[in-house]
Amino acid sequence: MSVPLDETAQLVVNGLVAGTVLAVPAIGFTAIYAVLRFPNFSLASHITIGAFAGYVANTLGGWPASAAVLAAFVVAGAAGVVNDHVVLRPLRPAGALTTAIGAVALTIVLENVVRFAFGNDLRGYELPIRRDWQLGPIRIGPQQVENLVIAVLAMAAVFAFLTFTRTGKAMRAVADDAVLAGLKGIDAERVARLTNFGAMGLAGVGGVLLGLDTTIDPLTGFRVILSVFAAAVVGGLGSIPGAVVGALTIGVAEELSLLSLAPAYRTAVGFVAILLVLTLRPRGLLGERAF
Amino acid sequence: MRHDRVTLSRRALLGGGAAAAALASFPHGLRAQPAAIRLGTLNPLTGSGGSYGPSMRKAMEWVAQEVNAAGGVNGRQVQLFSEDDQTNPEAAVRAARKLIDVDKVSAIMGTWASAVTTAVAPLCWESKTFLTTVSGSDTITQLPHQGYLVRTQPNTHLQIGKLGEFLLALKVKRVFTLAAQTPFAVPSQKRLAEILPKGSAETVGSVIYDKDKTTFRSEVDQAVRAKPDMIYLNGYTPDCTILMKELFKAGYTGAKIAQGYAVNAKLLGSLPHEVTDGTYTATPSPAVESAGYKRLAKALGTDDLDPYSCQCHDHISLVLLAIAHAKGEATGTAIKDHVRSISQGNGMKVDSAVEGLKLLGQGKAINYEGASGPCDFTESGDILDCKIRFDQAQGGKFTFVKLI
Amino acid sequence: MDNYIVAMAVFACVYALLALGLNLVWGMAGMINLGLVGFFGFGAYVSALATKRGGVPIAAGLLLALALTGVAGALMAMVTARLRGDYLAIITLGFSEVVRLVASNEIWLTNGTDGISGIPGPWRGRVTPEAFNLIFLGVAVTAVALVLAVMQRVRHSPYGRVLRAIRDDDQVTAVAGKHVLRFKVEAFAVSAGVLGVAGALWGHYTSYIAPEVFVPLITIYVVLALTAGGTGNNWGAVTGAFLVVFFMEGTRFVTAAVPGLKAVQVAALREGLIGLSLLLILRLRPAGLLPERLPRVAS
Repeated sequence: MSVPLDETAQLVVNGLVAGTVLAVPAIGFTAIYAVLRFPNFSLASHITIGAFAGYVANTLGGWPASAAVLAAFVVAGAAGVVNDHVVLRPLRPAGALTTAIGAVALTIVLENVVRFAFGNDLRGYELPIRRDWQLGPIRIGPQQVENLVIAVLAMAAVFAFLTFTRTGKAMRAVADDAVLAGLKGIDAERVARLTNFGAMGLAGVGGVLLGLDTTIDPLTGFRVILSVFAAAVVGGLGSIPGAVVGALTIGVAEELSLLSLAPAYRTAVGFVAILLVLTLRPRGLLGERAF
Repeated sequence: MRHDRVTLSRRALLGGGAAAAALASFPHGLRAQPAAIRLGTLNPLTGSGGSYGPSMRKAMEWVAQEVNAAGGVNGRQVQLFSEDDQTNPEAAVRAARKLIDVDKVSAIMGTWASAVTTAVAPLCWESKTFLTTVSGSDTITQLPHQGYLVRTQPNTHLQIGKLGEFLLALKVKRVFTLAAQTPFAVPSQKRLAEILPKGSAETVGSVIYDKDKTTFRSEVDQAVRAKPDMIYLNGYTPDCTILMKELFKAGYTGAKIAQGYAVNAKLLGSLPHEVTDGTYTATPSPAVESAGYKRLAKALGTDDLDPYSCQCHDHISLVLLAIAHAKGEATGTAIKDHVRSISQGNGMKVDSAVEGLKLLGQGKAINYEGASGPCDFTESGDILDCKIRFDQAQGGKFTFVKLI
Repeated sequence: MDNYIVAMAVFACVYALLALGLNLVWGMAGMINLGLVGFFGFGAYVSALATKRGGVPIAAGLLLALALTGVAGALMAMVTARLRGDYLAIITLGFSEVVRLVASNEIWLTNGTDGISGIPGPWRGRVTPEAFNLIFLGVAVTAVALVLAVMQRVRHSPYGRVLRAIRDDDQVTAVAGKHVLRFKVEAFAVSAGVLGVAGALWGHYTSYIAPEVFVPLITIYVVLALTAGGTGNNWGAVTGAFLVVFFMEGTRFVTAAVPGLKAVQVAALREGLIGLSLLLILRLRPAGLLPERLPRVAS
């Protein structure tokens, strides 16, 4: 069966947009892994927290999309710092596995806090409904383009921060070798706090971007988390550029899967991707070891 | 993690003060109160059907109140146990278990979503509890329910048959269906494929989607690619809201039709007019001219009753009249055996439970005609016929188009 | 009301089986399985389809669930057993979601999101609901007793010692000449089989299963049960399960007493309390109620 080029091109475009948005929380996940050395599953609930923070800013405060994104970053980031300090830090001495389980429990608590406050109903941001643009055979929505721009700006900011600022360099040092960094006088706790703020903030931004184009509910973060894991693992856990590459790969792969699978199986693509990577190239495309 | 676990609080509706007063006025001054008739209501108080559940329940509570105030059934008061099925089969099964095992009801009334009814039905027929429903899927009356199930809603075969007729009258040629995953998704599509060719139209494709998703971009892409001139949205309010937005964004300019319980006033209110204008809806039409309908409308305080509340009003009336016909035996089996004796046939036509109970007490035969329609059932539990009303959304409101 | 208590006891037995299954891989062999609800669901569907569509007797359905889920577990382990803890966690979590997706979408097989209703239960419909509940409780308790006995034997056996050695340091064990991968796969398979039987029992008891029943929250309940009861200790697993079920049902009544809450808020409160309890236990008493008592080796 020959698949029309138009259809494939449309899927690739959708995939690149989706992948760019996915990259934002993926960077957060992989950054926490790099610095704090455990998979922080509570990222899922911080995506949701960010989505709802943006929702409140937009519907109650009347803020436009870009301001809502900022609100989400700050709220989710702050929540991340508090949650880590109160809940996860005391668990760290017990080992990475206990902390990971604690993170799952934490995500359940946070998701239900959101559910308690907002109920289960789907909510949409208050934005004008605009018709999509038709560029030749490709259909793309103005909101998708906006999301793409915001995501790229966020990633650029992250890269700039890590490359040019002192704190950023300190983070990279800790990620590379925590002991050595300590010897050089870098305060690991401070770096951890900053990492949590930034990473969870990025998760929140991801949540808003998801919500802007669709609708949100307490399960928003949970629905997308497997794809986030996949992006981070495929790119190489702990590598930030890896997270970006991984996210784009997963984004496009999920869309292309529509050529042969029912739309519901998109998240399965992430799972299969993780399996493939772990069997064939465990360090991921750009990074870490899995064993 | 969709787990709305409803607390199993028992909300028994007692005749309350009315019952006490009625009993106190009995000339014989009964000392021992005969055991109450225990009935269960299981409605979508939350979830996709949440706009209808509360009103459905109120309709049943009102009938119970009226009957209790007039002395009950054979001297027995009616006691209602109410649960929320959350428009979710899993929650419904747990609630039904509680109604059957703990509250020991003889009937469960008012299930709305087809998936809920399909899940709850085996529990009912196995425990010989009578089930009345407003769900439409064909598959429901085809279950081996042994007579423990009736429904007052036209089945899919009837409904979609009339919908097809309407589409042909509109002279559409290419129909694409976007359906939520429900027991009626496939039967609807099949029926449509039967009817449309009679007017040289055809179904050009269908997609069955998971209604819990938050975006349907790919499904809409598929629909638009098939170049239909009519899209049938066969889902529920939350997913139809998203679909209508996506269809607008995708630049679809053809016609749309949906079921009235999905594209309802609430949906129209939540979307801009340009997104919803022109959409047709199909709704089973209650018997708006009947006295029963008018009385219920007044009691519930609205001019425009939804068909489900009318049906629920009829459910409890039928159940109580059946119990009375069985000389007060209030078991599921008795209801099953006697319901058709009071719902159809040559008896005197009555449109209220209170009036029917009076006549039955005098030994007369009755034929109950309800607020939702004549309520005459086939052997398998379906109603014989029903009128379907077609409206169109204009400027955020519905205007009447046709009655078939 | 007693019907209700009996029903809760049946659920507690099902959770006890799940906790025993988890204990085998995690408590004894040190492999985390955050996807256990996937095996739970898999076993439920196998037995439901076999008995309802295939017409086989319920006992056969249970055995089929045990066998097929065991095979699924072995397959999963062969792919993942070499992975480090956190990767294993990610991938097992993903597995349970994929099982749910397949169950939701392969409508021809599983009836999709509408679920499978009318699953036969032992003598259901031919005895009163009360009698059915008691009969089933008997079945469930028997199952727990059997599995517990088997697990205890494993624990006290040389096999159990090897598993514990793998848990504590699998490099050393490998050096000592033990075929680590084979042990891990076997343990995972047996564990999965037990989880599958628990799922089958669930289906036959409630008479209805649907994909949305099998959510990661259940995995958390089981992890909570095992952690609270005592990881590594089989009696701890059973005790923890009963504690968790009665705690869950207890919160139902407590939250009912809180005035002015909507149904969804009550549900959120109860689920949140589960997560919170796990966090508290991890923090304050990670060894659980009945800590692992290593069996004495004859000196």
